[in-house]
Amino acid sequence: MNAIKRTLLAMACASAMGATVNTAQAANWLMLQGTEPGGTAARANVWGFVQVNYQADTSEPNSTGGYIPPKLLGPDLNTQQGFNVNRARIGVRGTPIPLDDKVNYFILLEGGNNGITQIDGSSVKFTDASVTLNHIPGARLRAGLFKYPGAEEGLQAIHTFDYVNFTEVSNQLLLERFPNRVHPGAGTNPAPCDPQNTPACNLNRFDGPVGAFRDVGVQLFDAFTFGNFELSYAAMAGNGNGLNFSDNNNKLDTYLYLSGEWLTGGGQGPWREGLKFFVWSQNGERQFDGNADGVYESYDRKRAGLGMKFLKKPWRFTAEYMTGEGMIWNGPDKPTWALVAAGDINPAHASNGLLAEGVGYYAEGGIYIPNTNFQVDLRYDYYSRLDGSQFQLDWKAWTLGLQYHFNKKTRATFNYAMRDVNAPNFGTGAGPNANLDGIGDRYSLQLTTIF
Amino acid sequence: MIRLLGAILVAVTMSVGVATSTFAADKEKKVVLQISDGSTETQTLVLNVANNLQQAYGVDNVKIEVVAFSAGLRLLFKDNENGNRIAALAQNGVRFSACENTVKGMTKILGHPPEINKQAVSVPAGIVRIAELTEQGYLLVRP
Repeated sequence: MNAIKRTLLAMACASAMGATVNTAQAANWLMLQGTEPGGTAARANVWGFVQVNYQADTSEPNSTGGYIPPKLLGPDLNTQQGFNVNRARIGVRGTPIPLDDKVNYFILLEGGNNGITQIDGSSVKFTDASVTLNHIPGARLRAGLFKYPGAEEGLQAIHTFDYVNFTEVSNQLLLERFPNRVHPGAGTNPAPCDPQNTPACNLNRFDGPVGAFRDVGVQLFDAFTFGNFELSYAAMAGNGNGLNFSDNNNKLDTYLYLSGEWLTGGGQGPWREGLKFFVWSQNGERQFDGNADGVYESYDRKRAGLGMKFLKKPWRFTAEYMTGEGMIWNGPDKPTWALVAAGDINPAHASNGLLAEGVGYYAEGGIYIPNTNFQVDLRYDYYSRLDGSQFQLDWKAWTLGLQYHFNKKTRATFNYAMRDVNAPNFGTGAGPNANLDGIGDRYSLQLTTIF
Repeated sequence: MIRLLGAILVAVTMSVGVATSTFAADKEKKVVLQISDGSTETQTLVLNVANNLQQAYGVDNVKIEVVAFSAGLRLLFKDNENGNRIAALAQNGVRFSACENTVKGMTKILGHPPEINKQAVSVPAGIVRIAELTEQGYLLVRP
């Protein structure tokens, strides 16, 4: 009898090792980031990831030997090549009382060197601190600091992102910057990092970190499954002040998100397979002394987009289209949102981003090469900054990627980005092109490990 | 390393074959699976074991009962993410027993009774149920 029991135990253990795990944890970002799996979540699940990279920019200086920010590596903008601990995050998530799945929490700290920590000189900063209440069917409530519902590139978990750098449309149109609201001086070009003869940049014109696609507020959301189709929604009101814990203008931003996904049955978590379509919008106001009269004015900041994502291994494909009105970012060298000195104190000037528009899109895809640990990716992205104005800038890039997965939690990502930036309304060497000419390709190699 | 793992799996598979043929001589195979901790891994393991026992012997040739008590009762919570797997196993004859004593204890903590999966059958005490089953010839396995 004992021999039989031992054999049976061995069989059970061996079979369990080989069996397919079939968890039903919701796989869309709203649910993955905002809720914990029912009946299994721990009181405190410690997790995190580290990303270390080496990048090299091949851009040439302008005619006088100066470099503009797109020719330098962020977030410090003082070199064209080097190593960086881009992200180092550690967090805790779970359910305070494991018997009560209706309450979840999520906390995440960033310790890497990027726009979150570099701008205000902090070494560690909270990127997430939220509580979710799951008591009302169909209307889960999440409150605190967390990723707002929006574009796929911003909403997705960054450690699952298949490239080293964001597309320009996400980076410039969506990833919000918070420069000082006080105009640094009328009639002068206040750029802290205008073309430098030696790569260098002073970023003290910013009093807050990048928004990191996050806000502090409250969100209603849920996902509903109808057979193989999943419908998800989110509606959120937030401060519109990025990672800063409190509001700064007595106005709230609103966010709306709707997605529908046909589930094909494979994968799980972030890699659940399916075909998803989504649409989103964001509306808010920002205060800024745009005309240097010592008084803050309110400027609309509107963003909207739609897109789709497909994953069925070995193939995947993503495409997004995004538009923006107001508060168009003109780069770290123009914290007053003006591209040329003449537009510094005139929000309506063709070079000023306060009232301008932006539009862009990207399409990317990849293949997990069967029976290997390699993955090949290809992306094209386009962004029209100050769209339709005389000072419109077109940002185009092809990015070729190669990834090697050491295991499910650790991978190396190589990117080669072929970039082309120009002001179409100006000739070569004229206007903004005097500095944009010479923007070259960029190599990136990044190691990611998740724990 | 991969070859080593492969060899181990082959060996285990052979042992499973031996076990299968050994048990094939028995008229009735009966296994009680105890779950008394609430970790994700244990929950998955218990369900995997139940599934693989049925695959090895056939659903009509093995009686399986999963007895959940203490933190293990979380497996039988109504909103447990393994709900679909539990329903599928129950449909194939696996019985899921929920400890009433544990429910009472959790009720004191929560202020209300936990919502239990409708597939589960309430038993007065999980450990007593296990004792009864072993007396009936069930083999106790605690994955």
